Amino acid sequence: MDTDVYAVALNNTLNELRNICPDISTSFIFTKDGVVVAADEAATEATMNKTMGSLHGLQDTMASLGGLNTLLIDGAAGKLAISTVNDMYLATAAAKTADLHHIASVARVIVPTILKILDGLAPTPPDRAPSHQLIVDTLTGFFVGSTVEIDPQVLGQWAELLDRKEIGEVEIEAFSGEKTQCKAKEIGDEKIKGKGIIRIPEKACKALHVKKGELVKVRPAAD
Amino acid sequence: MPSKDNSDDAITTLRDSLQAIRSKKGIIGYILKAADSASVDLNDPSKIVDYAVVSATTLEEGEKLAKVFGLGDLNKVVLEGARMKLLLLARGDHRISIFMDKTVDHEAVGKDLNLA
Repeated sequence: MDTDVYAVALNNTLNELRNICPDISTSFIFTKDGVVVAADEAATEATMNKTMGSLHGLQDTMASLGGLNTLLIDGAAGKLAISTVNDMYLATAAAKTADLHHIASVARVIVPTILKILDGLAPTPPDRAPSHQLIVDTLTGFFVGSTVEIDPQVLGQWAELLDRKEIGEVEIEAFSGEKTQCKAKEIGDEKIKGKGIIRIPEKACKALHVKKGELVKVRPAAD
Repeated sequence: MPSKDNSDDAITTLRDSLQAIRSKKGIIGYILKAADSASVDLNDPSKIVDYAVVSATTLEEGEKLAKVFGLGDLNKVVLEGARMKLLLLARGDHRISIFMDKTVDHEAVGKDLNLA
């Protein structure tokens, strides 16, 4: 799922947490590498940067204690808790009267739950991509193998839709109903790129009973 | 000098309290630091320097964070790790760092010291 969606959801969560617990003055989430993931409306950049700087300063100390679980600071006028949540840090500052341990515990339940729900809502890639109608161009020659050549744009669309790194094999169907499955690669010839052409080796054309200039339906082969 | 006597009495009381909690299960040791002196009692004396660094760094960063968030004067810092935790208490000129196993209730330790 898009990281922006996580950020928006977590920002809202932190703002809601502050609405529910007015004792909270500010809260924000940052990674161990010092990247702010989410922050409520009260969090300032200076505060967040200084907090990350202090955590960096405590790194060796935390290592000798076995890594940081929670850092609680109790001052005469307020409190601060920094706790580890899903491999990130959640910093929460609150008024003196707040039960910060409780607030931090609640946040440590809510934040991972939100992240888990968001993961659950992530769209599942469809099993099959829609087919494209492409114009047949025949590949002839002694060194022509069995691989078809397809427009890179079409292959890219399928890869994105199916959440695959690349499309290595396609299913080709002629309008007569003949089908075959071939390995696929991008068209190398710049002159015919972007023209909706599929270059099919002669042998495969014969199997499909198609000729140059005819249309075929092409889609990525199932995994 | 009555004020020095009072201060000495306070230190003695604090040391007695620390000795009392020292025998409790899970307590790894403590460092009591005053303006011009320090007392250390740790299970593993070879780690005095390590623990002193942990204590000093935690105090330093705790004070910085207290300033950043406007928390006022530092009363207490709890640094909880995966294996153990540090309870750091600030009282006047005294800084008390108590190292303990993660499972020890640091709130109870603070209450036993009558400082938390």
